[in-house]
Amino acid sequence: MTDPGHTATETESPRDQRKGRGLPHSIYALGGGLLLFALVMLVRDDILLRSGPPTPAAQDNGAIAFTPPPMSSIPNGPAGASIRHGMAIFENTGTEARAFVGNGLACRSCHLDAGRKADSAPMWAAWVSYPQYRAKNKKMNSMEDRLNGCFSYSMNGQDSPSGGPPPKGDPIYTDLEAYFHWLASNAPTGAKLKGAGFPKLKLSSLGYDRDRGRAVYAQHCASCHGDDGQGRRDLNGRQVFPPLWGANSYNWGAGMAQINNAAGFIKANMPLGAGNSLTDQQAWDAAAWIDSQERPKDPRQKGSVQDNAAAFHEGEKTFYGKTIDNHLLGTGTSPKPRL
Amino acid sequence: MSEHPLADEAFEPYEPRRPVPLPVYWMAIALALWGAVTLWNDSTAQSSGVGQRLAEAGDMTRRHSAAGADLFAQRCATCHQANGAGVAGAVPPLQGSRFLGANPQLVVQILLHGINGPIAVGGDRFDGHMPAFGSVLDDGQIARLVTHLRATWGNGGEVEAAFVKAQRQATRERHASWNGGADLVSLDPAVGPQPAFLSAPPAPSDSVAMALARGGKAGGWACSACHGAAGEGRSGVPRLAGLPADYIAQALLAFSTGTRPSDIMGPIARQLDGPERVGLGRLYATMASASRARPELDGDLARGATLALQGDDRRDVPSCFSCHGPSGFGVAPIVPAIAAQQPAYTAGRLAALGRHGKDDAGAAVMPSVAARLSDADRRAVADYLATLPPSPAIDTDTKDAR
Repeated sequence: MTDPGHTATETESPRDQRKGRGLPHSIYALGGGLLLFALVMLVRDDILLRSGPPTPAAQDNGAIAFTPPPMSSIPNGPAGASIRHGMAIFENTGTEARAFVGNGLACRSCHLDAGRKADSAPMWAAWVSYPQYRAKNKKMNSMEDRLNGCFSYSMNGQDSPSGGPPPKGDPIYTDLEAYFHWLASNAPTGAKLKGAGFPKLKLSSLGYDRDRGRAVYAQHCASCHGDDGQGRRDLNGRQVFPPLWGANSYNWGAGMAQINNAAGFIKANMPLGAGNSLTDQQAWDAAAWIDSQERPKDPRQKGSVQDNAAAFHEGEKTFYGKTIDNHLLGTGTSPKPRL
Repeated sequence: MSEHPLADEAFEPYEPRRPVPLPVYWMAIALALWGAVTLWNDSTAQSSGVGQRLAEAGDMTRRHSAAGADLFAQRCATCHQANGAGVAGAVPPLQGSRFLGANPQLVVQILLHGINGPIAVGGDRFDGHMPAFGSVLDDGQIARLVTHLRATWGNGGEVEAAFVKAQRQATRERHASWNGGADLVSLDPAVGPQPAFLSAPPAPSDSVAMALARGGKAGGWACSACHGAAGEGRSGVPRLAGLPADYIAQALLAFSTGTRPSDIMGPIARQLDGPERVGLGRLYATMASASRARPELDGDLARGATLALQGDDRRDVPSCFSCHGPSGFGVAPIVPAIAAQQPAYTAGRLAALGRHGKDDAGAAVMPSVAARLSDADRRAVADYLATLPPSPAIDTDTKDAR
């Protein structure tokens, strides 16, 4: 009738089971708890703090990640003074290199965050890749040669008070290089660094189109850069949003006048604070709209625009030398009186 | 009953084993860990804060000049630059400026009341609009700042708080800024020849807008009831004085259509028509009034300054000033001034933009930037902005006419 074994299991099993399972149970509980905590932290960091798709640079293979040193670690003494002045030139180019700037831009207009931001041609990545052979001028270029090009084209030196870039050996170059050298502290020389240059975007079968670009520009760019592309100034007349075309912008010889470069910059960095929010196609089209507007002439031009297009713009993705609305692009703008 | 006798008279009621489900443990442990991490963060923040204060209080003399340098870095360098070079065509240099070599009274007066008018410095002419620091810096702070300025770019010599106090007392009746160099040369001729100040044609007073601001519409709220008679705002209610006119008009439109949802502003804005919105925008845009904003959110001011001046590249947050102008004075027509804004409003607005700003058509890139700010960062930046002088409100229409 009564099975002693049976009753024993009935009454004693809960206790026994609890005893037997105590350890694994608490391991599961603790492990699960840790896992949940880690998961929540990851989600918080990855999704909330880093919304948006990963930057194209993050997918590069074999490229080394690099973070420049914090501003607070600029050393004191004469070296530090040179680095600080280099940074001042970079941020306040129109004042610190006043004689050689012929437009309303500064270095930092395109090299964002004082040349620190990845995917906006950061200077720590540029520093470790010079001297370099450049097809643009068909020679080995020192960093000074490269900076001379920046002043000639992006800063439109031809319309500056001195009529050109700083002369060879000018301390402006030395101080800028001191700043770049410091930014690249501990970076491996010659290595491929993540976020160097501007991202390279693939062109789809749609190509790029300035009329589509006009719409993208109106929706995503015009509120800061203005419908007329002239950027905006604050109440003291200081340029806050840089001019994208016209007499106060980069000239036809600048890298940014090539649509592929502008598209890469726009994709990764614009609108400011919402980089990578436009599609590749939108970036291509906006770049086409911006780079199909008139700007200061190419300072290398000797003969006609067509001759210059053949000599210096062959194979570029550019509107230079093309006729839009009965206007030959590349003709140039007349220099604006500087404020 | 009888055929079913109680099977077990000695039955002891017991609770069947119902183990607590594992997920409950998981959550409890995860919450405990979170709590521990939060407590640890707080305690390190607190101890580093204590360390900071101790370090600050350590050496009185060092603190004295360092505090002046810090004030300069956080309130002045955005325009005049860290090296005092200014910005060609926009902001006068401090390097070699005759104003700093002049009587210290002059520098104190400029800081107290600001400048609004043409000024010649170092051979260049500037259309000067400098904010008044009188409402955001106390006598001791101005004294330390002027001491630092004169030591770096002037003739040296210490300025005492009592001197600033006397200067403040001497011009306490003054509410407007100094009218450019022409006004300042009368304080000290050592500053050299100055361009004449041509007074702007008086702005046509908009009696409709004025009546709305003071009396409201059809028994509704008056703007001034909450935003103050001078548009200076109060805790949690935004400062309107000096915001761009178009920004105010657009915000009122957004309140009325609900694209910027607000239980308070919605019904008020729906009473207004287009010309009234524009009129109110112009009225407040040209209102120059002292700052009533003070840090009140326990934010980390140094962190706030970093966010405003440099941003945080680790979180892909651009600096506030890269869009809101070098000193947070806004950029007409649509980028609002954020300097001297009420901190509770700033922090609340950032939180709202981060949560559901995507629907807010006028806000452009702010939603994605705001979403990357933590609560502590929002409080830090809001409190820092509250320490800045208010935007020098100028009438852009009459400025162009001048």
